[in-house]
Amino acid sequence: MGGKDKIRGQEELQRVVLNRNLCTGCGACINLCPYFKSYRGNTTILFPCTLVQGRCFAYCPKVEVDLDDLSQKFFGRPYNCDPLGPYQTIMISRAGKKIKRAGFQAGGTVSAIIYFALRKGYVDGAVLTDRDGLLPVPRFVTNPEDVFTCVSSKYSAAPTLSALNQGIRDGFKQIGIVATPCQVLATVLMRSNPLEDLNFVDPTGLVVGLFCTWALDFRGFEGYLSERIDTERIAKIDIPPPPAEAMEVYMEKEENMEIPLDEIRQLVPDGCSYCIDMTAEFSDISVGALEGYPDMNTLIIRTERGRKIVHEARKEGYLIVSDIPKVNLEHLKWAAGNKKRRALTKVKQERIVNTLEEDKASYLRLNTATLEGITA
Amino acid sequence: MSYLTDNREDMQHLLMGNEAIARGALEAGVNVASGYPGTPSSEIIESLAKVAKERNLYVEWSANEKVAMEVAAAASFAKLRSLCAMKQVGVNVASDFLLHLGLCGTRGGMVLVTCDDPGALSSTNEGPSRHYAQMFEIPLLEPGDFQEAKDMTKWAFELSEAIKSVVMVRSVTRVSHASGNVRLGALAETERHAEFRYDGSPLSADEGPAESVPVGQKHRLQQEKLQMATQLFEESPFNTYQGPEKPELLIITASAGNLYTREAISLLGAEDRVGLLKLGTTWPLPSRLLKRYLAATDKIMFVEEVLPFLEENVKILAAEKAREVGVKTFYGKNEGTMPKTGELNPDIIVSALCKILKIDYLTIDPDYEQKLQMPPIAGVPERARTFCPGCPHRASFWSIHNALQMDNRRGFVCGDIGCYAMGRFPCGFNTTKTLHAMGSGAGLASGFGKLAQFGMNQPVLAVCGDSTFFHAAIPALVNAVHHNSNITLVVLDNSGTAMTGFQPHPGLTINAMGDEAQEIDITKVCEAIGAKVETRDPFDLEETQTTLNRLIEDGQGVKVLILRQECALSPEKKHTKQYDMQIDENLCLGEDCGCNRLCTRIFQCPGLVWDKEKNKARIDEVLCVGCGVCSLICPAGAIERKEVA
Amino acid sequence: MGGIPLSKDPYNLIITGVGGQGNVMASRVLSNMLVRKGYYVTIGETFGASQRGGPVMSHIRVSAQSAWSPQIPRGRADIVVSLEPIEAIRILKSYGNPNVKVLTNTRPIHPVGVISGELDYPSVEAIKVSIRKLSSIVWFIDATEEAMKLGNPILGNIIMIGAVFGTGELPVGRETFKEVISESLSEDRLDINLKAFDMGASLIA
Repeated sequence: MGGKDKIRGQEELQRVVLNRNLCTGCGACINLCPYFKSYRGNTTILFPCTLVQGRCFAYCPKVEVDLDDLSQKFFGRPYNCDPLGPYQTIMISRAGKKIKRAGFQAGGTVSAIIYFALRKGYVDGAVLTDRDGLLPVPRFVTNPEDVFTCVSSKYSAAPTLSALNQGIRDGFKQIGIVATPCQVLATVLMRSNPLEDLNFVDPTGLVVGLFCTWALDFRGFEGYLSERIDTERIAKIDIPPPPAEAMEVYMEKEENMEIPLDEIRQLVPDGCSYCIDMTAEFSDISVGALEGYPDMNTLIIRTERGRKIVHEARKEGYLIVSDIPKVNLEHLKWAAGNKKRRALTKVKQERIVNTLEEDKASYLRLNTATLEGITA
Repeated sequence: MSYLTDNREDMQHLLMGNEAIARGALEAGVNVASGYPGTPSSEIIESLAKVAKERNLYVEWSANEKVAMEVAAAASFAKLRSLCAMKQVGVNVASDFLLHLGLCGTRGGMVLVTCDDPGALSSTNEGPSRHYAQMFEIPLLEPGDFQEAKDMTKWAFELSEAIKSVVMVRSVTRVSHASGNVRLGALAETERHAEFRYDGSPLSADEGPAESVPVGQKHRLQQEKLQMATQLFEESPFNTYQGPEKPELLIITASAGNLYTREAISLLGAEDRVGLLKLGTTWPLPSRLLKRYLAATDKIMFVEEVLPFLEENVKILAAEKAREVGVKTFYGKNEGTMPKTGELNPDIIVSALCKILKIDYLTIDPDYEQKLQMPPIAGVPERARTFCPGCPHRASFWSIHNALQMDNRRGFVCGDIGCYAMGRFPCGFNTTKTLHAMGSGAGLASGFGKLAQFGMNQPVLAVCGDSTFFHAAIPALVNAVHHNSNITLVVLDNSGTAMTGFQPHPGLTINAMGDEAQEIDITKVCEAIGAKVETRDPFDLEETQTTLNRLIEDGQGVKVLILRQECALSPEKKHTKQYDMQIDENLCLGEDCGCNRLCTRIFQCPGLVWDKEKNKARIDEVLCVGCGVCSLICPAGAIERKEVA
Repeated sequence: MGGIPLSKDPYNLIITGVGGQGNVMASRVLSNMLVRKGYYVTIGETFGASQRGGPVMSHIRVSAQSAWSPQIPRGRADIVVSLEPIEAIRILKSYGNPNVKVLTNTRPIHPVGVISGELDYPSVEAIKVSIRKLSSIVWFIDATEEAMKLGNPILGNIIMIGAVFGTGELPVGRETFKEVISESLSEDRLDINLKAFDMGASLIA
C-alpha cells in the first residue's frame, strides 16, 4: 500500500508520465492550477511548479494507481480477476419515450440518464464532451436540454475532467460525469481523497463510464483526416464492432468515408496500450455499444446510487431496459479480459507495476494473486 | 544657465562627456546633427536637439546609423558642418557608406563620434570601432577626459576642413557617461549657406560630383590627406607626456585609460618611475613623437580598451624603427599583462604595475576582507535587471511563451535588440532563443522558416520593437514574404525607442526637435510588403494568446502580429495609473497546490512582493504602476483591480 | 580652482541605489553643488540598461587639486550614500574599508530573485549589523517613509542630499543646494525640494 507518501508533484509527473508518453489526455491535471494546459489534444506544462506533492500527481490515472486500495474503498473488496469489474447487474437499454431522438450514437442511454439526472436534481451539473469540428471539447452543462448537444462518440481523447475541476471550483456539489475508463479512474482517485484533506467531501453525484478499447491522438487524427476530407462537415464517426475492420466517417453533405483500422491504429497514443480497463470498472454505471443491435446499448450497473437512478429513470419512462443476450455477455467478457491481460502483461514486462524502490514510481499497484491470475 | 547656451566668458560647468562633445560641436558652429539612439552615445544628439531652434540647427534621429551618416554627409557636401553620433555597432551598420565617404572626401567639416561600450555594460558585444579608422583610412581622435571631449570635437571640425576628410572621434562609456569640470569656450557665430556644387572636375574636392570614383586616384589622394593629418598630429596638444625624462617604464594610453592610469600611478606613488604618454591622436600615429618616447626606455606598457589596437600599431612602428629606438620589452594584451576582454579600472592597472615594478600594494585590509566573507554579507542577493512594472513586454512574452508551450511543437522565438532583448531572462520567461544585432531576429526567422524541406517542423517566431522595425527588420520581412517563409513576426510596439531613453522614431508623429513629423504606419508597411497583419493589445492576455496560437498554426507564409501598448516610461504614461491594485488575502493561495506563487515566482513584476511572514502576495504601492495585468493571471482571482477615477 | 581643503583629497563618495530611485539626479545635484564651491569633481556612472531594476552607482571624486578617474579604486570609498540598504552592503564589498562612513536609507527594494523566492533578503537587523561591522560611522534613515509623508517617494533622493549635508562630511550647504536646484526646477517645485533637504539634514542630528 503506497498511500500519501507515494504522492509526488509536477516534476515527477512530467518525468514518469508525460516524458514517457503515458499520458492519454484525460484532463484530470487541468484546471487544478495555472501550470497544466490542454490544447488541441495535447497536455502541456506552462511553467515548472516546485511543490513536492500535488493533486496533479495524486489524480493522474497513469501513476501510483493502487487498484486494491480503490476497490476496497468503493467496492469493499480487493481488485480481482473479473474482466468486467464489480457490478450488480448487466442489461441492455435505450432511451425511453420521454427522450426525443437526437442523433444518438447508438441507444441514447447515456443522454437519457444524464438528462433525467439533471432534471430531477440527482446531479446539479454534468461534465460532458462536445465537439468543435473534429476537436472534442469538455463542457459543463446545467440546463438539461443542453445534454443533447453533446451526443455521439468522440474517438479522440478529450480533457473532459478539466470541466469537472472547474465545476468543483465553481462550487457544484453533486456533479454528474460521462467519462472514459481512464477518466473514471482519475475521478475515483480524486474521490478517494488521496492527500487526506480533512475537509474533503465527494463532489460527484453520478459517474457514467463509457466502454473504450482505445482513443486516437487528436492532432494525428486531424492531420490524417484533413488530408482527405473537410473536417468541419463531419456528422458522425463510428467504429462498428468486429468483424468490421473500418472506421465509418459520416459526412453532412459529401460522400461518407471508410478508413481501414490498420491505418488508424498508428494514431493511438502509447498511453492507451497500458490501459487495463475496457468497461470503466470504477464507475456507478457503464454504457457501451451492443454488438448486432445498432440502436441499443449495453448497460452495467455497479453501485447503489447508479442502480437507484437507473431504476427511477425506467419508472418514469426515460429509459427502456431488457435482459442481455448470453452471447453478447460472453463476447464482452472475452474482449474486456483480453484488453486487461494484454495491458497487464506489458506493464509487468516494463516493470512499472508494484515497484519497491523508493525513487521509482509505479504505474499500478495490485495484489499478486490477481496480477498473476490475469497474466497467466 | 544651460551649458549648451552659456556664452559667458570662462564659465565652468560639470559636464558629462557626451554633453561636452555636444558643446564642442556648438563651439565649432555645427549646423546638422544626426544619429540613432545607442547607449552610450544618445545624449549627444539629445543635447543638440534641445537647442536646435535657438541655434538654428537641424537635428535628426535617423532610421538607422547608415542613413544618419548619409544625412550628415549631405550637409557636409553642401558646405555645412555636420556631426553624426552612434554607439560602436552603429559604425558597423554605417560602414559601407563610411568606406566610400573616406574615399570621396568631405567639404564642410564632418565629425563621426562613436561611443564604444567596453565590458558590454549596455550592449550584446564589446566590439571595436577604432579599427575602421585604420581600415578606411580616416583620422582618429580619442578624448582622454571631459575637457578634451569638448576641445577635441571642436578641433575635429577644423581638422576635417583642413584635409577634407571625415574625422572620427572615439569615446567610451567611462568618458561619455562620466562627468567632470569643463571650461567652456565661445559659441560659434558663423552663418553658413548650404549649396551642393557638382559641375567641376571629378577630382575637384569642392566643385566636382561627390563620388568615391575614380578609385585609384581618389585612394591616393585619401592617403595624402592622412599624411597631412599625421603632420598636424606630431604637434598636437592632445598628445601629452607626464613623468621623468628617462622613465623606468613608459605607459602609452588613450581614452579612459588616461584617468585610470594617472590614478594607478598616484596610488602607488610611482610618479618618478613611470612615464605616461597619453595619445589623443591615435590614427595615424605621430611616428616622430612616438620614436622620441620609445627611445627613452626599454619597457613599454599599453593601457587601452578592448582590443590591442594601439598596442599593435605602436609595435609595428617600433619594429620598423628598431635600429633607431632599440629593442623593447612590451607589456600589454598580447603577452598577457593586461586583459583582452572587458573594461578597465584603476585596480587592474595597479595590479599590472605592481608586477612589473615589483611594488607591494594592499588593496584591502585583510581583517576587513575576512568580514566580507561572512554571511549575510557574502550572500547578499543579486539584483538582476528586469522589465519595469507595467512593461508591455512582460505581458507580451507571457502570451508568446504560453502559446508556444501549448502548441507543444518546440517552437521558438528569435530575439532582437531593445528592452525586449531581456526576453531571454526569467523576466521574459526565457522565451527568446537567439540574440545578435539589430534586425537579426527577423532575418534568422526568415531562414528558419524555410527549413521544412529538411524536416524541421518547429514553429518559428521573431520579435522586434517598433524602432528596430524601421532600423533593420524591413529588409528581413521583405525577404521572408518574397520567399514565402513560414514565420510569425511579433512587433512589440511601445511607441518609442525605450531602452536608450525613449527617443522618437519614424513610427511617431514627433521628431528629435519636438516638431511634427510624418508618422509611418507599421501595419500598412507590413501589409504593403505582403504579410498577413493583425494588431492586439498585449495587456489583453487571452485575446493575444488565442491570436498567437491561431497564427502559429497557420502554416502558410509570413504573419505579423503587432502588439501595441505604450511603454511604462513614456511621458504620457509615466505618472498615471489606470488601476488601483489590491490583494484579497482570503483568496490568495500563496504556496498551496493550485498556485505555488505564480505571480511572484513566475510573473515576477517588481510591483508584486511575496510576504514570507503572512505567506501571501502583496502589492508594493511605490513600485506598482497600476497596469492591471497581474489580476488576469491569478488563478484564485485574489488580485483585484479597480479603475482609477 | 581651490575650495576649502577637504578632509581628504580626493574625497571619494559613492551614491548607490536601484534604477529609478533618482540616484543619477542626486549625484548630479551634489556634484554641481561642489563645482559651485570651486572643486574638481568627476562622476562615473552607468545608466541605460542598468535602469531596468538593476543596481545603479555613481562614483563621485572631489578634489581641490585635480581631476581623478571616474572609477574609484577598490577599497577606497570615504562615504557611501545609499538609497537602498543591501546596495550599501554590495558597495562596501568592493569599495569599503575600516574608515568608510555610511549613510543609508532603510527601505528595502526586493530584487526579482527575492520576489520569485529563489533568494533571501536579509532582515533589516542583519543588514544594520553588517553595515556597522564594515564601517566606522553609520547613519540609518527612513528616507522613503519621510518622502512619502512629504507627498512623493521620489523625494527620497533629495532627503539623502540633505542628510549628506547634515553629516558635515562635505563643505556644502543649503544655500548652494538652493542655487543649484533653482536652475532646473520651476518655482512651485522649489519649496517641496527645500523641505525635503531640510528634513534630510534634520534626520542626522
